[in-house]
Amino acid sequence: MDFGFLAAGLGAGIIAIGAGIGIGMIGKGAVESIARQPEASGDIRGAMILTAAFIEGVALIGAIVCILLALGIGA
Amino acid sequence: MALKISRTLLIISFLLAVLSPLSIFAADATESEGGSIDILGKTADHDYFDTAFGKIYLPRIYVINGDISFFSSTKKALASGEFIQTEEGLVRADGEGIDLDLSITSHLVYVWLGILFALLFTMWAASRYKKGIGSQTAPKGAIQNIFEILYLFVRDQIVFEYIPREKAGKYIPFLFSVFMAIAMMNMLGLLPWGASATADLTVTATLALITFIVTQVSGTKDHWQHVFNFPGVPLLVKFILTPVEILGLLTKPFALAIRLFANMLSGKIMIICILGLIFIFTDLFGPSVGVGTSIFWVGLTSVLYGLKVFVALLQAYIFTLLSAVFIGMAAEEHHHDDHHHSDLELLSNTQQSNNH
Repeated sequence: MDFGFLAAGLGAGIIAIGAGIGIGMIGKGAVESIARQPEASGDIRGAMILTAAFIEGVALIGAIVCILLALGIGA
Repeated sequence: MALKISRTLLIISFLLAVLSPLSIFAADATESEGGSIDILGKTADHDYFDTAFGKIYLPRIYVINGDISFFSSTKKALASGEFIQTEEGLVRADGEGIDLDLSITSHLVYVWLGILFALLFTMWAASRYKKGIGSQTAPKGAIQNIFEILYLFVRDQIVFEYIPREKAGKYIPFLFSVFMAIAMMNMLGLLPWGASATADLTVTATLALITFIVTQVSGTKDHWQHVFNFPGVPLLVKFILTPVEILGLLTKPFALAIRLFANMLSGKIMIICILGLIFIFTDLFGPSVGVGTSIFWVGLTSVLYGLKVFVALLQAYIFTLLSAVFIGMAAEEHHHDDHHHSDLELLSNTQQSNNH
């Protein structure tokens, strides 16, 4: 039996959890700091997008592994 | 008047953009009657260039034993009898290898188109500034205003923010070109029959390689010292730290390439999948359900298209931003030895030093 699809689906779900937690925490931090110091919102936004991009990069690498699993490449 | 025309153009192009996946998809569904839908085939590299009026076949160029053989299309190459078609593409009929495959593919054409549009846009704007429009007066017209917003954004929000001010000047042209070219390549994928060249790993890897080379060339003595001879740690730790630092150098462009590639690819796959739900529903519950819910799926696709326009610009921004951060980290002169080394801490250091 081929578990490629199962693995890909589970993997994509776990990636979504991880990336969601990570980006949610960035959003929380950014909104809180903007509320505390509204004049620094420009700098905070830049740092926020940058950090989100790092997390997204890791999540996308995982997503590509899932795509490869689902397509059965390397099996 | 000009505003009115450009607005009409905008509406027409938006309609086309919304309708295009439908037409592409419909054509594909009839081709694969009763078969499965080739999702990744839509995003793959082809030997033809899709247009509204049919396919334009692109030339195949091979270097074999130092000789260049040129065929105007794949069919011509097959007709010459020197090559046979296999699952992995064309191979030589006599079973020997091909030294170098320089064939022109659809993604390569889209890279050229993206660079060409970026070049034309920038050169047009430059000629206007040379004439004095914008440099002595305020910029005139919507397009020049958009250009100025983009340029100032890249200069002030990206380059000056993350690269030390005294070195920032020489990186503006490079980073602005990268930004414009990636934005144009991403946007070409939104056009009917179009494809994003950046949804191809080879393209993004090439872009990341360019950034990598620029980063290493602009590296200061401090940058290399932090890689090979980390200051302030015992000798034994250096044996562990140096491989890690070298790995860190290489993972940066790798992540850069994967990020852009996966983002552009996922948008395309998502749209095909959501439109595919119409056919899945038809299969499961009968045609009436499929047709009935299609309004919902098409509506969702139009919203996703709007999101893709945003993502196309955002990914160009993120690629440029991260390139600037990496270059800035390499070009920075450190003033004290006990340094933290995660990317983000370095980033906040840069910002602090900018604020002083």
